[in-house]
Amino acid sequence: MTKSKSIRVKRIADSAWTHIVLLVVAFLFFFPCVWLVISSFSSTGSIYDYVGFFPKGYSFSTWADLFTEKTPSNNYPVWLGNTFYVAILSSIFSTVLVILTAYTMSRFRFKSRKTMMKMTLLFGIFPNFMNMTALFVIMTQLHLFNNLNGLIVLYSCSAPIGYLTQKGFFDTIPNSIYDAARIDGANNLQVFVKMTLPLSKAMIVYTALTSFTFPWSDFILPQMLLGGNKDNYTVAIGLNEMTDDMFSLFAAGSVFIAVPIVLLYFSLAGFLVNGVAAGAVKE
Amino acid sequence: MRQDKMLRAAGEPFRKLGRFFKTCGTSAKCSAALMGLGQIRNGQVGKGVVLMLAEIAFLAYFVLVGAKDLIGLFTLGLTEGDPILGIAGDNSITMLIRGVLSVIVLLGMAYLYVQNVRDAEKTALRAQAGRPVNGFRQSLRTLLDEKFYFVTLALPVAGVLLFNVLPIVFTVLTAFTDYSSNVAPPRLVSWIGFGNFAELFTKVSYVSTIGKIFYWNVIWAVLSTFFSYFGGLCLALLINKKCVRGKTVWRAFPILAYAVPGFITMIGFRYMFSGMGPINWLLVKLWGEGASVDFLDINSVWAARAVCLLVNTWVTVPASMLLSTSVLSNMNKDMYEAADLDGANGMQQFVYLTLPFVFFATMPILISQFIGNFNNFGISFFLRRGVINAAEYERANSTDLLINWLYNLALGGGSDNYYGIASAVSILIFVITGTFSLIAYVTSPSYKREDTYK
Repeated sequence: MTKSKSIRVKRIADSAWTHIVLLVVAFLFFFPCVWLVISSFSSTGSIYDYVGFFPKGYSFSTWADLFTEKTPSNNYPVWLGNTFYVAILSSIFSTVLVILTAYTMSRFRFKSRKTMMKMTLLFGIFPNFMNMTALFVIMTQLHLFNNLNGLIVLYSCSAPIGYLTQKGFFDTIPNSIYDAARIDGANNLQVFVKMTLPLSKAMIVYTALTSFTFPWSDFILPQMLLGGNKDNYTVAIGLNEMTDDMFSLFAAGSVFIAVPIVLLYFSLAGFLVNGVAAGAVKE
Repeated sequence: MRQDKMLRAAGEPFRKLGRFFKTCGTSAKCSAALMGLGQIRNGQVGKGVVLMLAEIAFLAYFVLVGAKDLIGLFTLGLTEGDPILGIAGDNSITMLIRGVLSVIVLLGMAYLYVQNVRDAEKTALRAQAGRPVNGFRQSLRTLLDEKFYFVTLALPVAGVLLFNVLPIVFTVLTAFTDYSSNVAPPRLVSWIGFGNFAELFTKVSYVSTIGKIFYWNVIWAVLSTFFSYFGGLCLALLINKKCVRGKTVWRAFPILAYAVPGFITMIGFRYMFSGMGPINWLLVKLWGEGASVDFLDINSVWAARAVCLLVNTWVTVPASMLLSTSVLSNMNKDMYEAADLDGANGMQQFVYLTLPFVFFATMPILISQFIGNFNNFGISFFLRRGVINAAEYERANSTDLLINWLYNLALGGGSDNYYGIASAVSILIFVITGTFSLIAYVTSPSYKREDTYK
């Protein structure tokens, strides 16, 4: 009797500390997010009018300002439009290029393949913004400097370097499926369009979403390539230039662009786990 | 003797070429003289015309701009511009980039040329053997079939060449020039060999800065990777425990943190840890006036580093948790039951079963995480915005990594920037991370056995 009792006590103790740790972790992750939301309702807007973590007064005025003001330091609706434009088009082009690259690298064996794989690995290490001077000159030559289309071109053209997760996915599609189609007389284009694409819908969605969220929240490239003209800003650089006394505006703007991504991630949480796994195991 | 051997080895490709032309057919010779001629001789008129057009287009490019660009790569301009006298002058930087571009075009053309000769020879041999020669339509059809990879890769490769390779080559080359904001167009930039590297490793303030930054950079890469990797793994294991109810809910909190864009998180934390921010308010409330800490002030060292590690852990643990969760879900549960029967306790099961499996599955990701952390630009940039000239540092602060220093050197000085030296630093980073990851990647089992699952 005492033995089973002690086991039960042990189990309860184990469960108790597990849940306590989880509560602490959940709080640590949750609180900063909540703090940002609370801050967006601060009435004065400045970071200096706080008592501890909480603003001295609350109002909705910041949220109204966010969408109605049109000043050099806050032109949120225009920035939001720019961000949408860049993120959506980059997502479309990147997805096409990444899927093509990953599929080719996984399916075909050609002479320069291994070399190309090693090279892309090396280029991947060289962060884009180390090349800022070069990109600046190239973009100026192509009349794409200070131009949203330049960003789209750059995001899309750099995307194929990160093809490894997608290649890992294509590696798991057994060759026998393809061989059957080949025996039926389909050429490689037909195999790709009629077999591979429908099989990899999930991966395409994953790729499209990740290549949407990257430009959506990227800061460095826009900062480099959209110098000067504030009408061309994306939300990220607009928010970064806000000063200490505009903290609630910053918070509101941040919450607003974070919400779509948060919803996206939650609706895809299960898929996200599997998508990451597919790349992890066989990258 | 040895020189003799080397000379012979160097001459070998040419002798091979000579032998090829002695033995090859007329078609190959025709193609070597004029691209596409051999193909037309073989009866492949369409292909021949396309190749000829390519050669004509290339020659036109080369005569009109290419040759000039190529020469410009070596001179970097001869006439200095003068706005007062109205002399346009040469723009060295544009010339450098156009020069590199012309080299890329030249190499591409050389490749096409070799392929064209080979193709002519192959087709001629086929015809001799009495097998049918592909018509233009059939050639196009092979592009959609056996050579489909050619079609699919053309666009990605072109994009990567223009917007990744070209800038990288440019950056590498500027490391060997005296390019800085004092020597920039309209003034002429010139080649100075290894001068920037020499300055980097001899000028006292640079040497001491680079030493301190490198020291922290390595510690940072190891610690931050360790925290995020094991933090994620432990969290995943914790939520996976049998006694935990509502696993989805517990997972939702880290996922929420994961979904918030990184720069927002970091700017938010900068406010939180600022001198008059909430964290300091809390410290003062708890332990009185003396307890406040200048976490992110200009000369703060270990406090700032601790905050950076903390914030980075907050940012990276969720992704690592998702990864671990998915890897763990692929794991065979029977092993644990067997281990239970053998009397292994929880710790032993973790060390001997869980860790090896997770390591094997996530090795490539671990490597790229390490590199990513080594070059984690955002943390110091956002958390310590504008803090550049800390004491005992040349244009850096205690949490800056090499990559931040490179950025500060190239852009942080207002009107006084050193692009050449910054490029030398970027080569340094590239050599360090490149060597590390190439070795790690090539020796990792998942690279060697990529066909395991086919």
